[in-house]
Amino acid sequence: MLYRKYLKMHIKSSFEYRLNTLFIAFSQTLITIGELLVVYLMFQRFDSVGNWGFYEALLMFGIVMTAFPIVECFFRGYDEFASLVKSGEVDRFLVRPVSIHYQILGSKIELSKIGRILVGIISSVIAIANLHISWSISKVIVLIASYICGICFVLGVFVIGAGISIYTIENLEFVNIFTYGSKQLANYPINIYNKWLTRLFTFVLPVACFNYLPLSYIMEIGSMPSWLYAISPLLGMLFVIPCFLFFNLSLKKYQSTGT
Amino acid sequence: MSNIIEFKNVNKEFKLSLKEKGVWGAIKGLFKRKHKIIKALQDVSFNIEEGDIVGYIGPNGAGKSTTIKIMSGILNPTSGQCQVNGFTPWKERKKYVKNIGVVFGQRSQLWWDVPVRDSFELLKDIYKIPNEEFEETYKLLNNALKIDELLDRPLRQLSLGQKMKCELAGALLHRPKILFLDEPTIGLDAVTKLAVREFVKYINKVWKTTIILTTHDMNDIDALTNKVILIGKGQILYNGSFDYLKNKYGNEKTINVEFAKEYRKVQLQGYQVVSHEKNVAIFKNLPQTIFHTQEFLQQISKKYEIIDFSVNSLSVDEILAKLYKEYEL
Repeated sequence: MLYRKYLKMHIKSSFEYRLNTLFIAFSQTLITIGELLVVYLMFQRFDSVGNWGFYEALLMFGIVMTAFPIVECFFRGYDEFASLVKSGEVDRFLVRPVSIHYQILGSKIELSKIGRILVGIISSVIAIANLHISWSISKVIVLIASYICGICFVLGVFVIGAGISIYTIENLEFVNIFTYGSKQLANYPINIYNKWLTRLFTFVLPVACFNYLPLSYIMEIGSMPSWLYAISPLLGMLFVIPCFLFFNLSLKKYQSTGT
Repeated sequence: MSNIIEFKNVNKEFKLSLKEKGVWGAIKGLFKRKHKIIKALQDVSFNIEEGDIVGYIGPNGAGKSTTIKIMSGILNPTSGQCQVNGFTPWKERKKYVKNIGVVFGQRSQLWWDVPVRDSFELLKDIYKIPNEEFEETYKLLNNALKIDELLDRPLRQLSLGQKMKCELAGALLHRPKILFLDEPTIGLDAVTKLAVREFVKYINKVWKTTIILTTHDMNDIDALTNKVILIGKGQILYNGSFDYLKNKYGNEKTINVEFAKEYRKVQLQGYQVVSHEKNVAIFKNLPQTIFHTQEFLQQISKKYEIIDFSVNSLSVDEILAKLYKEYEL
């Protein structure tokens, strides 16, 4: 399969700079552990944050910290789309008989993010082991859906950024407000923030859909009917669709650069 | 022969947003952008026949790359029709690009950090080339380009000339019917330039590939083709044989003459004296004078005693410079 070849090539080229790759992976893992520590220390100080305990928060952290680096690793091309436009790489994509999205996927695979993905997964496992959950099949599905929803959310924001950069040919810092801002936000249950912020991050940027809403279902808490909590990650996933539509529309306006 | 490329009244406009200076300008720019419309192509029409090599020439910024990008499906024109190989390039992109190869002289189509072999393998998958066909094509390309020993090195370690050879091979692995070369000889040394030209000719001969090339090196044109399209300021100015252009503008000669002694003043009917110092003078034929060596010698030796003389024609580059000047490009 073509994607396997792309992957092989990225593995090969990161081996060309293996020390560099290892160093980046190592430092990023440390940073993630640092962020984890912040959450931990916070709960050392206060036993709970908005009725949520440390392990609940750790699970939310785990979901975000798994979803984010997965997108940064495998969908990096959207994040750095502006540089692909600038370097003329997009022209190269367009003269090849393969879908442009497939080629964007293949263009950048950032293997140094693997360390962070591991931290995310390990945090999730520790959290799940310490939370007393009476598991059912539907709960497992909702949990997995939350991870996928998280991935869709981050991907969607990257894709919007990529779409905008077709017009501006610059990497836009303000997109980072949405990506990294919502990441910081999502480290804690969204419902601890004020009403407007909670609404914004539920209905516009569906961070809550992979954060406290599905967790409310899994923990069997919350005031709404439980099925509403259960389908929230599925609804959140839909966010990615308009993002791709916007990108495709922008691509029609593509102007290329220079000679 | 039938037309493989048909351009009909193609226009392309770019919207350029003007940025004002300073912080205040940047803030204003957020709310109200001033735009400037740049007409990159105006009413461009031409046909190219199957199996031809066509030189697409013009000064920088004339619209050469824009045309190539429209032909290769990267850009869509603002208006007009374009049929290439039976397709409208930007509309049926995926189907269309299977049959074209593109080489941008200043941009690599291969992957930077991995051995060239891996890039070729990937291209093989991208174009879904069957094993046997791939082997056969590669053999033929390697015979012509001698790239075997380059395959195991990452692209970044290759010289410009070696890179170009690999680029050419990479663009032809799927045996495209049409090959677009955007300044393929830029920055290459003399030997590699010759090799690239030979190769382009060879591919055109064995596969009947239609080749469109843009270049600033008129020797490329001279060596490869007699068909040129001249574009300037987004408009087609000339479409026809290169020989015609050369004859039209190549009639001008400069003649250096060394005299046996110093004449105070030299003059010759039908010629203009460009410079005269001591016993050396440079003449140029007036536009109405057709230079003829024997006649010139008879004419000049009647008046002056000469030791030596040499005749220089305009180089192809000078012809082109003249042409651009005439069209005020």
